[in-house]
Amino acid sequence: MEKRRKYSTRRLVCLLFILPAFLYHALVVIIPSLKTVYLSFFDWNGISEPRFTGLQNYIEMFTEDTVLPIAFKNTMVWTLIFITIPIILAIFVAVCASKVKKTSLQMFYRTVYFLPYVLSASIAGKIWSNFYNPFYGFNTLFERLGWEKLSEVLWLGDQKIALFAVAFVSNWSWWGFVMVLFISALQQIDPALYESASIDGGNSWDCFLHVTLPGIAPTLVFVISLSLMWSILSFDFIWVMTMGGPGQATEMLSTWIYKNAFVSYRAGYANAICVLQSGIVLLVFFANQKIRKKVEDIG
Amino acid sequence: MKKTKKRITKIMMHFILLFLALFQLFPLFVLFLNSLRADVEIKKFPIGLPETPSLVNYVETWIKGGYAVAFRNSILVGACVIAIVLFAASLAAYGLAKLDIPGKAFFIAYFMMGMSFPTFLYIVPLYYNFSQFGLVNTRLSVIIIYSAGYIPFAILLIRTFLVGIPKELEEAGKIDGCGEIGVFLHITVPLLKPILATVSLIVFVWCWNEFLWSNTFLTTDSIRTVATRFYKFTSEWSKDLAKIYTAGVITLAPIIVLYLALQKSFIEGLTSGAVKG
Repeated sequence: MEKRRKYSTRRLVCLLFILPAFLYHALVVIIPSLKTVYLSFFDWNGISEPRFTGLQNYIEMFTEDTVLPIAFKNTMVWTLIFITIPIILAIFVAVCASKVKKTSLQMFYRTVYFLPYVLSASIAGKIWSNFYNPFYGFNTLFERLGWEKLSEVLWLGDQKIALFAVAFVSNWSWWGFVMVLFISALQQIDPALYESASIDGGNSWDCFLHVTLPGIAPTLVFVISLSLMWSILSFDFIWVMTMGGPGQATEMLSTWIYKNAFVSYRAGYANAICVLQSGIVLLVFFANQKIRKKVEDIG
Repeated sequence: MKKTKKRITKIMMHFILLFLALFQLFPLFVLFLNSLRADVEIKKFPIGLPETPSLVNYVETWIKGGYAVAFRNSILVGACVIAIVLFAASLAAYGLAKLDIPGKAFFIAYFMMGMSFPTFLYIVPLYYNFSQFGLVNTRLSVIIIYSAGYIPFAILLIRTFLVGIPKELEEAGKIDGCGEIGVFLHITVPLLKPILATVSLIVFVWCWNEFLWSNTFLTTDSIRTVATRFYKFTSEWSKDLAKIYTAGVITLAPIIVLYLALQKSFIEGLTSGAVKG
């Protein structure tokens, strides 16, 4: 009995190691998050007393708000871009780069591709906006090169193009990061597997399908879910480059939340959109945990 | 026949890799060259070598943009956040890796989730709560938010590192009569130095780059961090492209230099942190 009590006090002492981090994080992140959910049922401008309105915000979201469907659609287009283009590019380049024999050259490529990822999105985005400037930007260069059609494009001013122009910049900063993840995955694959595949008479495409792809499958699953979560929450590049414009052409869930919360002071309504957005993200997070366990079990 | 085909593929491969490398660097080259050119030159043609290279842009931008203040703010915020994160995260990581804590699985899952927790879920109430406490528009506000936000990442990174350290070392410490805290301070912390350095580096870069929170919470120039100061600067000086590009170099250069010097820690820290999430 005595021993048991001593043991449990010791365990409680051990708990002290984790409590500062846990309580601090819970206080700053989790409690306000719960408050977001709670306040999404209120009409609230951030300053005066919140007024309970039940599901009113949610009803407005799905029936009255004409911007939200556009923001949702743009977020989906953005997500679709980021779960395909950077991933395909990254896998392709990772396979090529891992074939580079010279280690220093391979390291050079890795360093350069990854570089934009460590730079601030707000700073890089603003610089790219200047490159996109129709009068003083790259259009002048296109004109000099004789590419008339390209030189007339309003990269951030044309409703049909703006979203893709921003995605292009965001991809510039993002794909190198994804590529490094795939390079590390490729390095884990047993070289003997490639040898036996080529002895069996497989060409390089067969090798890719039967050795490389299964080898990087866990990373692929992880990268897809990371890209999903990251795209749904994307904010910086869009905000600094277009602020959701022109019109509503690049409006995303995140920019619409931001405008509601901090521009038109509809904090309660913004919270309801937050709940929708984070609901999707957390769903992806838990789905990823489940799928990852499955993939690991198979592997 | 087969050999030449293989060679062509190889040349193609190298060509693509090189092209992509140039593509990644091109904007940064243009940025740097333009910082040495006069505004009129840039407006005439966006890319080119400076006619008479001069550093006059740098002097003017640095002073007019108040970047000395912005640098000081970013460094101050970064240092405070690093101190808080290292303290809380190394303790917690040690607990999760080495000690028999009740509810361990819960805490690990909690911090895993904390790492990819959506920012937008807590920004609105936090902003209005902070403004009640008079915390909005103080450096303390972003210090609190950043350190809380980066703690889960740091815990998981340090924990992974700790799991790889043999238990014998700590047990030897216990035999020598150290308590839990003594073992932690005298045996674990010294071993942790490399990973703590990596965590500090990444946390610092995040503090430097962060935009959403700082742009919302910091609204006067005297406390703005570098990224938000630059954002505002571009609207103040939108007519003067030379200044904007120069400011771009000023604000990005510290991170680029750090990255080139310590790229291994950067890449390892950022990717292993991501994989664990």
